[in-house]
Amino acid sequence: MRALTLLTFRIRQQVLEWSGAWWFLLTLVVQAVIAPLIGLFIWSAVYPDDPTIARYYVAIILVTLMTESFEQHTFSNRVYDGTLSHELLRPQPVVLGVLGENLAIRGWLTLLGAPIVLVTAFALGTTFAWRSVLLAIPGIALAAVLIFLFTFLLSLTAFWTDRVHSVVGFGSQLGFLLGGTAAPIALLPDGWARVAEVLPFYGMHGLPAEIASGSRYDGSLGYQLGWVVVLVVAVSVVWRAGVRRYTAVGS
Amino acid sequence: MKLLRLFGAGFSMSLRRSVAFRVNLLFDVILAFTGLGTTIAAVLIVFTRTDTVGGWSKAEFLVLIGTYELITGLRSAFIDPNLSWFPDNGIRNGKLDSYLLQPAPSLFLASLSLSSPLALIGCALGASVLGWGISAAAEKPSLYGVLSWLLLMGAGLVVTWALSVLLACLAFWAPKLQLDVFYHSAWQLGRYPTDVFARPIRFALTYVFPLALIAAVPSAALLNGAGLAQLTGWLLIALVAAGLAQLAWRAGLRRYTGATS
Repeated sequence: MRALTLLTFRIRQQVLEWSGAWWFLLTLVVQAVIAPLIGLFIWSAVYPDDPTIARYYVAIILVTLMTESFEQHTFSNRVYDGTLSHELLRPQPVVLGVLGENLAIRGWLTLLGAPIVLVTAFALGTTFAWRSVLLAIPGIALAAVLIFLFTFLLSLTAFWTDRVHSVVGFGSQLGFLLGGTAAPIALLPDGWARVAEVLPFYGMHGLPAEIASGSRYDGSLGYQLGWVVVLVVAVSVVWRAGVRRYTAVGS
Repeated sequence: MKLLRLFGAGFSMSLRRSVAFRVNLLFDVILAFTGLGTTIAAVLIVFTRTDTVGGWSKAEFLVLIGTYELITGLRSAFIDPNLSWFPDNGIRNGKLDSYLLQPAPSLFLASLSLSSPLALIGCALGASVLGWGISAAAEKPSLYGVLSWLLLMGAGLVVTWALSVLLACLAFWAPKLQLDVFYHSAWQLGRYPTDVFARPIRFALTYVFPLALIAAVPSAALLNGAGLAQLTGWLLIALVAAGLAQLAWRAGLRRYTGATS
């Protein structure tokens, strides 16, 4: 309960802090939507008469906006400039601050990116069934958790290397290719599709988008929950090892 | 000549600085490989379902990706280290003041004096993909095609530099306006032929924010040749862009009062 209260305070604080940077947030929205938009145009050129492509990619754009994570900037920079020490001295888990900022940025991106989603859907004549959208909500929530954990895990490498952006960039490339943004999983070659369905990236983008667009109804929440457990364990282990290694002026 | 010597000296110093950190070099090499691998894999996936996309075959797409990587590598090596985050680094932190005091053109110092030689790895990889695309193409490029490609690549580089300078110049009027993320995101559109995009985007990429010139136009010229009028038109666009960049820089400097004054 105390953690939830602290998290709420953090979210409110970060929402207010980021409200002054709305122009920069808009550029982050562009960054988030550009890859799905390219996918939309490419696959629409391949299947010009298939409405499911447009529906799927509109859903992917929305899922991407709602689940973007920037811990390689927000958290790793604190490791690099030593201000993580301030967080470590507070009587609360460090992850609450990271999570609060993550949720605040996601809220802003969703709010600012919603017009893009609506305009794209309207321009392409895309409609969604309410039932599918409601069914997708747990999948989107788990996708948000998965992406946060994955990005945070990779950002923790800041304790060992100053190339955290390269590490997270590599993770993003895997997510783009095997998560359903470069191509819907069903359109991947057979072997690739089978591998992609097992890895966590599909649960981060493609799966919730497929449910929202009505091409899949079994939520496969067990698959997403399984990966959440794996990533929570990995984050805990790496966090402990990283904090033991961390040194900063004054620590 | 003096500027060339300055450029060479800056590159040499940056190279020595870069190779001193070998683990970083390893990271950059790996990321360059995986980044290009992801792009190519995404394209190959598309071509398992079709023979052409927007009228471009697989070989033509590879030529396009190779050309895009080449010019992106040059941008990352010579332009980005200078103009990235210019509102922060140049204006608010006062770095521009030091450039203004030095006995060389401030635009050159601010936009081309630093370099990041490791980014040239991308150029080498791009050249390999370009070679792959050419060897897979049904018709090999003619000498005229190669010359057109070289000319258009030069024009593309000038436009790239000019766009970066113009975006940086916005900082003279709006120092808090940070468009790097937007620019780098929009840049990705240059990796695909404009023919696949909807008409308004195609128009914008050709005439407003000419990213078509980065890779699509040179690639088409390499494989199919380019009309003289088209070549002249694009070269004129490059000249106008460079002129606009210089004018904007001068106007910006007139407005600039110094971060430390």
